[in-house]
Amino acid sequence: MGKTTSQKVRVGVFVVVGTILLVAALYFIGNQQHLFSKNIELYATFGNVNGLTLGNNVRYSGINVGTVSKIEMIEEGTITVQMKVEAKTSRFIKKDAIASIGSDGLVGSMVVNIIPGKAQNTQPVIAGDTIQSFSKIGADDMLSTLNTTNENAALLTADLLKITNKILEGKGTLGALVTDTLLAQDLRQTVVELKKTTAGTSATILQINKIISKVNYDESAAAVLLSDTVAANQIKSVFAKLEKSSDDINEITKNMDDYIIEIKSGNGTLNYITQNAVLVKNIDSTMINIKEAAEKLNENMEALKHNFLFRGYFRKLERQEKKEGKEN
Amino acid sequence: MNIANPILIRTKSFFAEIGDMAFFAARFFREAFTSPFEFKELLRQCYNMGNRSFFLVGVTGFILGLVFTLQSRPTLMQFGAQSWMPSMVSISIVREIGPVIIALICAGRIGSGIGAELGSMRVTEQIDAMEVSGTNPFKYLVVTRIAATTLMLPLLIIMGDAVALFGSAIVENLKGEVSYMLYFNQVFNALSFSDIIPATIKSFFFGFAIGLVGCYKGYNCSTGTVGVGEASNAAVVYTSMLLFVIDFIAVFVTDIFIEV
Repeated sequence: MGKTTSQKVRVGVFVVVGTILLVAALYFIGNQQHLFSKNIELYATFGNVNGLTLGNNVRYSGINVGTVSKIEMIEEGTITVQMKVEAKTSRFIKKDAIASIGSDGLVGSMVVNIIPGKAQNTQPVIAGDTIQSFSKIGADDMLSTLNTTNENAALLTADLLKITNKILEGKGTLGALVTDTLLAQDLRQTVVELKKTTAGTSATILQINKIISKVNYDESAAAVLLSDTVAANQIKSVFAKLEKSSDDINEITKNMDDYIIEIKSGNGTLNYITQNAVLVKNIDSTMINIKEAAEKLNENMEALKHNFLFRGYFRKLERQEKKEGKEN
Repeated sequence: MNIANPILIRTKSFFAEIGDMAFFAARFFREAFTSPFEFKELLRQCYNMGNRSFFLVGVTGFILGLVFTLQSRPTLMQFGAQSWMPSMVSISIVREIGPVIIALICAGRIGSGIGAELGSMRVTEQIDAMEVSGTNPFKYLVVTRIAATTLMLPLLIIMGDAVALFGSAIVENLKGEVSYMLYFNQVFNALSFSDIIPATIKSFFFGFAIGLVGCYKGYNCSTGTVGVGEASNAAVVYTSMLLFVIDFIAVFVTDIFIEV
């Protein structure tokens, strides 16, 4: 009896655990498909659903908020998609939201993406609302575009082939560049010369750099000339004054010329002094006479010093000079 | 005529055996729903077949999930699709690999056990003694065993699947740095009712097949100790074959009725 009870308990635990696992799995799967939450129905109309099937996810701003519950073609080129969206998240979806069908990853299943609208203060959707839709480019359209691109690429490559053939044959400028050996040699020589020139330029630039680096930017005149704006203004003003001075000098010189011409040609005193030879001789003889007279006056003065009447006066002068010399 | 004879005999015996098994199954249903019910024996069989098989099923399931993930991972990484691992592993295990592997393990353990047990009872004339004593041996031995396998196998498969997914999650957590929460979230995101319900229904049929073939082979065991071995062996072989046939039919029917 004890064994039977133990077996009962063990089998009971086993059954309960297995059943709980099954129910939990079913619950989680159902929860992922929003089966146990309160939902509202929204509609969107598309021209092409691109393989959307029942049960595909509906996303709002990237969050799974519901599933596709019905797909129905109401007329040619118009397919209505019914979506079950969680009631608790539907209050964030506004009436101007836009639905589009996209792919979940590169190889994933299709999803309906609801994008928020741009208008402010729009009312949230209510059950049964039809929101706007936007049909993205499908895989078929992409392949069609790719086909056109391929055709264009084929035409381009054909043209390129023609061009490369002409180049190889040496036709045209590019052909000459590729095939003409003389041109190649010239070009090579040009490049060699260019290299030399470049080397020379580099050396020059290096030297200039050295010179510039040697400039004392704080104190030297060159630095002041190169960098000090105040000095530049002062120099500018000096140059302006110099210009004015040179103008004045020019004017003075002109006046002087006029005077000199006038002196040379006129009858004034200066002209008489400079031009009359007799006067010069007279002045010369007068000067000789003055010189002789001065020598004689010196002799007289010396004689006067030795005269007793004036000797006292001269001695008094000598003593006074000596006294002043000592004091200094 | 001489060459055709053995083929004809084999064909006839094959169909005769299938027909006999069908009658055996019909008798099971007739006996299962009529009183008296052997609840204590059913409980004992459930314990033997369910609880005592769990360790084997758990270990097998754990290694299955672990190895399956380890082997698939490099290939998926070549495509940069390792994030699809939880989806791929969960769908493969829940839909197909889990039920079939666990059913085969149970066929080996339970089917051969039933065949050998009933075969030895037949050989030692215990079944005949029960008939003489007024006990219905079919109800007591066969109905309880088939009912126990039918009820226990779905539970074993669900637990085995859970352990296998846990094993896979460990590998993903260690090698791919995927958290357990993310792993199981992706698992339940990938799974749908169309994956789990047909698999569970299928597992009832697997359990029924294991019990039926094991009981049939053991109950109709030929005399002698060799017969016991043959019954045990045939129970495993026929059950394994029958499991694949049932699996094929189940997938076929699921494909017709559930659009994936």
